[in-house]
Parts: sequence; C-alpha cells; structure tokens
Amino acid sequence: MKRIRVGAVGYTNAWPLTTRLDRIRYQASEDHPAEVARKLQAGEVDVGLVPVAAVLNDGDYKVLPGWCIGADGPVRSVVLAGTCPPEEWTEVLLDGVSRTSVVLAKLLLKDGPWKRLDVRVRIVPPTTALDKAGGTVAALVIGDAARHLPGQFRFELDLAEAWTEWTGLPFVFAVWAGRPDLTLEDLSGLRSAAAEGMALRSALSEPERTYLTEDIRYQLDDRAMMGLRRFAALGARAGLLRQTELRLYAPPGRIRPRRPDTDTLLARGAAGERLGFDEALQLYDAPLSDLGTAANLRRWALHPTDDVTYIISRNINYTNVCVTACKFCSFYRPKNHREAYVLTQQQVHDKCDELVRAGGIEVLLQGGLHRELGIDYYERLFRYIKANFPLDLHALSPEEVFHVMKISDLSMDETLDRLAAAGMDSLPGGGAEVLVDSIRKQIAPLKCTTQQWLDVMEAAHQRGMTSSATLMFGMMETPAHRIEHLLRLRDLQDRTNGFVAFICWTFQPEHNYVEPGDNTAGDYLRVNALSRLVLDSFRNLQASWVTQGPGIAQASLHMGCNDFGSVMMEENVVSAAGTTFQMSVADVERNVREAGFTPVRRNASYDYVGAAITPSRQVRRSPELTAK
Amino acid sequence: MQPQLSTVTRLALGRVGLDDIMDKVVAGVRLDHADGLQLFETADIGAVGALANLVRERRHGDLAYFNRNLHINATNVCEASCIFCSFARLEEHQPEAYTMSLEEAVGRVRELEDAFLTEVHIVNGLHPGLPFSYYTDLIRALKAERPDLHIKGFTAVEVHYYAEKYGMSYEEVLRAFVEAGLGSMPGGGAEIFHPRARRKLCHDKVDADGWLEVHRVAHRLGLRTNATMLFGSIETLDERVDHLLRLRELQDESLALQTRYPRRGAFQTFVPLRFHNDNNRLQRLPSPTGHDSLRTIAVSRLLLDNLPHIKSYWVMLGLKLAQVSLSFGADDLDGTVREERIYHMAGAQTPQSLTRTQLVQLIRNAGRIPVERDTLYNIIAEA
Repeated sequence: MKRIRVGAVGYTNAWPLTTRLDRIRYQASEDHPAEVARKLQAGEVDVGLVPVAAVLNDGDYKVLPGWCIGADGPVRSVVLAGTCPPEEWTEVLLDGVSRTSVVLAKLLLKDGPWKRLDVRVRIVPPTTALDKAGGTVAALVIGDAARHLPGQFRFELDLAEAWTEWTGLPFVFAVWAGRPDLTLEDLSGLRSAAAEGMALRSALSEPERTYLTEDIRYQLDDRAMMGLRRFAALGARAGLLRQTELRLYAPPGRIRPRRPDTDTLLARGAAGERLGFDEALQLYDAPLSDLGTAANLRRWALHPTDDVTYIISRNINYTNVCVTACKFCSFYRPKNHREAYVLTQQQVHDKCDELVRAGGIEVLLQGGLHRELGIDYYERLFRYIKANFPLDLHALSPEEVFHVMKISDLSMDETLDRLAAAGMDSLPGGGAEVLVDSIRKQIAPLKCTTQQWLDVMEAAHQRGMTSSATLMFGMMETPAHRIEHLLRLRDLQDRTNGFVAFICWTFQPEHNYVEPGDNTAGDYLRVNALSRLVLDSFRNLQASWVTQGPGIAQASLHMGCNDFGSVMMEENVVSAAGTTFQMSVADVERNVREAGFTPVRRNASYDYVGAAITPSRQVRRSPELTAK
Repeated sequence: MQPQLSTVTRLALGRVGLDDIMDKVVAGVRLDHADGLQLFETADIGAVGALANLVRERRHGDLAYFNRNLHINATNVCEASCIFCSFARLEEHQPEAYTMSLEEAVGRVRELEDAFLTEVHIVNGLHPGLPFSYYTDLIRALKAERPDLHIKGFTAVEVHYYAEKYGMSYEEVLRAFVEAGLGSMPGGGAEIFHPRARRKLCHDKVDADGWLEVHRVAHRLGLRTNATMLFGSIETLDERVDHLLRLRELQDESLALQTRYPRRGAFQTFVPLRFHNDNNRLQRLPSPTGHDSLRTIAVSRLLLDNLPHIKSYWVMLGLKLAQVSLSFGADDLDGTVREERIYHMAGAQTPQSLTRTQLVQLIRNAGRIPVERDTLYNIIAEA
C-alpha cells in the first residue's frame, strides 16, 4: 500500500481527529491550518485537515466523509471581539489566519444577521487583528486565542452561533481533504483514528472536555453537509468563494472481489450436480445475474419447453380461529373475537360451486388450528366436497394434520389414513416457514417442530400423497438458516420423492409484530435461484406473484421457476399482511406470454390439464420503418 | 479486477443465440440496429440482463447511485394534448387545473428546510398564459431561498414551446435560464422519436429533430442533460431501437465536441419511462409488464454505450422492479422524491417519497453499494 502523507493541525479542536494518527501507517506532520492548505496545494502532503475555504478555492480536492471540525450553535473559539458593545462598533479587522472564518464573517456582516451593525471591514496582516483592535474597532479572533481573550475584550459575537441562527444549519470549519485520486480505502486510517479520538475525549480534563464534547461538533452528517453546501453556495454568490462542486471520497467503483471458484460452482449447480452446505452458502453471495442464469440453465435442462404451468384454484380458509398466535401472522383471530369464524357447509358448498364454474381444478383447504375441530369435522368436510364436486383436494398443511392428530388423540398413521380415505389428495407445504427450530421458536413458538413437520410429510408421501414444500424467509433468519432449510427438504425428498414443487416467498410485514429482515424483491430472486440449484431433486419451482407482483414473478421465470402458481379465487392469509397483488386468468396468461412463455393449465400434481384459456394475442410487430 | 462474464452467463447467452452480440459487447464493439432488435426480441431477460450487467459493472462496479430531490410541477395547464398523459389540464379554468405562485413554489422548498435535498426538479405544462419572466423568476426565487440547491429543470418540449411563444431562439431561452440559475436539464418529452409513433402519441409536441436540437444547444452552453424514452404504449420495438440510436448519435457529437471544448455538456443519464394507462386516453392498452421494463433497461444499457448512467426511476417502476433492475443494467434509482404528481395521476401505486434508510436498504439487499450523489454525480454523502 502506498504511504499517505498527512497534514495535521496542532489546534486543540483538532485533537480528537489527530491524536491517534500515530497508530496508523501514515506519515503525519503538524502545522497551522493555512500552512496545511499550502502544503496540500503544493503536493507536499496527500491529504490534510484544511479549512473549508481552502477546499472550495484552492484546487481539485475530495472530502473525506464522516468527520469534520464544526459547530451547531456557539463554538466559543471563533468570535468577533471588541471592548465596547457591538452596536457601537464602526470597524471589524479580519486577519488572514483563517480564510474560512474571514469568509463567514464577511457573509454575516454583509448579507446575514450582522448587516444591521453596519460596520466597515478591513483586512490586516496575519495575527495582527487583536493587537490593532480597541475602542470601536473589533477584531476576528480564532482558536485558543479566542478562548483566552485579554480582559478588556468584554464583548464578543460568536460566528458559528450567528450562522446557525441565520441558516438553521451547523457550520463546518475544517475537513479532511486531499488528492482526488485517493480512495476511501486509502484513507480508512484517518477515519478509524478519528473514531478512536472521539472516544478518548471523555478522559480529558476541563475546560477541554466541554469544549471538545459540547462546543465542537465533529460529525460530518447530513445536516453538516447541508451547512457546508449552503456556505459554499452563499460564498460563491457573494464572490468570496469559487463556484465548485463538493465531492466526497467514495467507495471504490470496482466490483468487490469475488471468489474465483464461484464460477465453477455455478456451472456445477447449473449442470444439476449436488451442492453441499458450504457450497450453497458461497453461492449465496454470487452476483444475482449469475445465480439467475445458472438457475435458468437448470430450469431448461429439467423442462426443455417454453411451457409455464399454472392452476386455477381457490383457497378456502375454513376457519381463522387459531391457537398458535404466530408473530408474523395477520390472519388468525382468537375463538371469541368478533371477527372469528368457522365456515358452514353451505358456505363451503357455494365457494366450491363458484370455483367449478370458473374452471377450477383444485381446492386448497387451509385454516387455523381450532381446538374444537377434530378429525370427524375434516372427514365430513372432505367427503362432502369430493361427493359433490370434481375437485382435487389439496388440503391441510403438516401443522394442521399434526393438530388434528392431537385433538382427536390418534396416531399419525391413523390420522393420515383416515384423511386420505375421506378424499385428501395432496398436502400444501405451508407452515414450514423456516425449518430451523431456533428460528421457529422465535417466530412461531407454538407451531410443530421441524422434525414433526418433516415426519408428517414423510408419512403422507409414504401413503402416495404428494405435497409441495415452502420457505417463508425475510425475518431474523440468516442465509445459513435458509440453506439449512433447503437441505432438510432435500434430504426428505431423497427418501420419498414426494415433493412435486417448491415455492418460496418473503415475509410480509404489515399488521403483525415481526421486524422484516432480508425480504426485498432482490432477496426473493436470489433465494429462489439458489433454491433451484440446491433442490436438484425437485422438479417444479413456483413463482410467488402474490407476494412479489407480476413483474418480479416474470423475472423469476427466467431465473429458475417453471410455474406461475395459481389463479386464486380467494386468498386471505397473505393479503391480511398487506400484499395486494391480484390477478385473473387473463392477467396470468398475459404475464406468462409477455415473459416469452406459453401458459398451460395444470392440476395439483403438475400434470397438464388444458391449454391457455385466453387467445394468444398477436405480438405487435413493427411495420416497416420508413427512412429516418 | 475487471468484471467478466461468468461461465453460466456465457452458456445462457449461447442458449438463446446471442453469441455474436456477446462477443461484440465483451470486445467493446458497438452494437447496431439489428443487434438492438434481436436483444429486444429475446425472451430470456436473465441472459440479456446479465450481459447488460457486465457493461454496468465495467462502468460503475457495484456502486448504485441515489439522490434526494424535490419535484416541482409549477403548472399543469398545458396546450399539448398527448394521449398518454394523465397530468395535464388543458385549460386554466378546469377544476383540477393549477398554477403555482412564486410564493407557493418557494414555499415547497421552504417547508423542507430541514430536509437534506440537493436538487429541485422542475417540469411544467405548456401554459399559454404565463409571461416568460414567470420561469426565470421561479428559478431566481428558488435559488434565493436555497442557494445550495441545484436546479434541474425544463424539458426540451418546454424550451421549444417558450422559444416559439416568446419569439426567442433555443439558445436565448436557455441562456436566460442559465443566467437565472438553471444547472441542468431533465430528459422528458422525448417520448418516441419516430414520426409514426410520435404523430399518434403527441402530434403537437416538438418533433424529434427539435427535441434533439434543444439538447444540442444545451450541451453547447455547457449544460448536462438527461434523455428519456416512453416505452410500452403504441410504439414498435423497431421504433425503440431507432429512438435509442438517435440519442446515441447526438451523444457521439456532443462528446466529440467536449473533448475539444471541455466546458461543454453532454447527456449524463438515460431514463426509460414506462407507460402507465390510468386516467388517460390509452386506457384500452394494457400497461407494459415488468418483463418489458427490465428488458428495456437492459437493452438501453447495451445500446447506449456512450451514456454514463441508466436510471431506473422507482416512482414509475415500483420499488421491487427498480431494485432488481440494478442487476439488469441500471446504476441509479433517482431520489427520495417529494411530491411526484405526473406518474401518480396515471395510477402509479408507489409511495410518493421514500426515506433514505429504505433506499439504502434496498440497494444493499440488491448486492450493491449505495452512494448518494448530487445532480452531476458527485458523491456527496456516504450511505
């Protein structure tokens, strides 16, 4: 690394920024501010703690973000001092020790709140102002001299205080500025030294401690930047400063280093090779474009056609009464709540009837865990639906099966046998959330454990029932937890081959009590593509347009998904948490087509049951272009 | 480290027959009209996006820019009758018509005195009844209130309208604006350049040559400007390519002059604008899908090899697509906009403003490094 030459300042107020410079590998020298500015201009140092007027006027510098020497209100070390009250002053002497203070004093006296004093301004040689002041002549005094004024200078005006009253903004006196070709990385030592220096202030004795903790403001934050930009603009307008753009050192524009073996790993995943935990975790950090193209290659290897399936379905949530009270859920109600319900047989009948008329193929039955609904209720419900409607029953997540088993005091085998006999065809994969017990305990403490969830699925698969698998992510879990989840599903799939599809979606944060984590669309596409690579033995991946919207769902069709989910006549659970995406058959088919695919209808087992319903519109072709 | 195409991306591009275009892009060879059309017609936006991502990373690495600005639409009274517009009210007495007084406009800025803003973005209807001084006074008043704010204002369409209405040349209009404090120009009003589509969309707006000429003059006067394209209404893919190449041609010219005269301006950002279909006369047309937005961003990045930035305007795209577009060629999300009206009157569902924390989080979760910029892309704050 190149050795950086640093110009530091010996003033008390610079102490927190410079006292730890000896700890870094820079070569530091100490001068007064004007000398540092000169050295920076002459190229004798690479970066320096310089007055902002020098930054704006001298050359092509960049400013180090993070720290500055500033004030938000009185600073007590930059003042106009006089021996009589300011109203009686006739002249103010400015010496050139600090150009920034001179510009600030001129702005305040000519355009700002001190215009009313109506005084002359005279520039005098450096360090002579105070000596020449007296009577009705005041002087600009800065630094330690201002904090220890001779006794006769009983009247002072604080420049920083006046600035803040005038503009409502902090004032910035000095910043680290330097050669524009340096990078933020080159200068990271200055920032860590400042951070350490800040912490050391509390050990100082008075009056320095108060001066450096209360009077000086060191953060170069948004408000300070606004103050700095305002000063630059006002100074330029008054002709006191050059018109320049303030520029900060930025993170390097190069791409962050990527592990060279990621490329091979992606190619292996795309070829359908099995990925281990560490490999999957490494791929989690691969660029989204690459993960997407790898997942897409895998999708085309598994499904070498441009068909994209979807199903017409209806979510019948037979009850919203639930005892698990999951923190991320906005759907459930306690039993005696005025919004609590259990659907009657007639209501279920009407919903199924509507569904069949609309071309529906399956009914998705899911509900809360109601203490009074035992296996008899479900058997009756299933038999009723199967006897009256030609619908596939995609019913009861493992959580619900587990609940029925407990309520009715049956074994898992008995429970599943009886439900299957009553007409249950397949299981939705809901309630999986994140199959890592430490996470489940936090978000859904009363839900079944990872093992119980997997046991129900395994037992169902053994009876010839198929199911889907899900992952809801984007709360407090980490990428490693998500991968752990995928590997658990893959292990079970290796034994049973009973999962027909995988669907992931992001946690929806409205109307519930969980802080969102990585739940953006970018996270969705990343996890989805990674799932396509990790779940090598899963045939189908479903896009979640319900949570992501049609556009991201279209993108996911080019990044691993081959299924566009369902046209739901009804959806109550996710929408209770604020998601509002809704699509009709026509919308779904249009989105699939516009993404470049052919929509095909399927059933719950992912068998094709029919072509698209809406006619394929002619894609707009261009008339011949006339000459330009 | 120079960004490179991964093996899987090369395979994916090969799968859809884009080998030749890939070779050109990797070698830095300029794409032509046929290439542009082929890219638009390729369904696999994952592959096209990954190629655009290479170009994006060569220019900007992992950086993703955003800024904080205030939009002022000083009047919605407009003589033009563009069929895709939901914003304009044609006459002053219509119920929703408004024209801000200078005090009102300045009030918008004053209300935000505590907010960190760096830019005011001004775009207006073509008001038949205002004096020219209204606009210069507006710039001056805003500059007087907040001298540190950069004023990016007045589309080429407005400049052309003022020139005709007040009997001035483009140069005279722009000089007056610059003197008053204008810092740069937005890229609106470009819509679609090709005369077939343009006649249908906005027959009474300045034509393509006029639009380009205003920007040519602005560049000569040292202004940096943006460019746009309204996609997804009635235009063909051919017409999109034609539009992009016309922009590229003017940029070639401006950049060549800039090497001789360094103080001259040029285009700095291209902003593809998605057609929205609510409350206007194109309601029978479906709005373009997200797929179209992503491919347009990607193809723009690939064709506009001489424009520094591609902006994904989140107000128009929605946050989800805007975020993801940072991997499809875009490098800029625009700002935490205050009071956007034009897209919201056309049914945009996005929030009207975003906090900085939200924007930063979106960018980070897209795997990018957020940097706050000013109008001229100086880095002005760290995220």
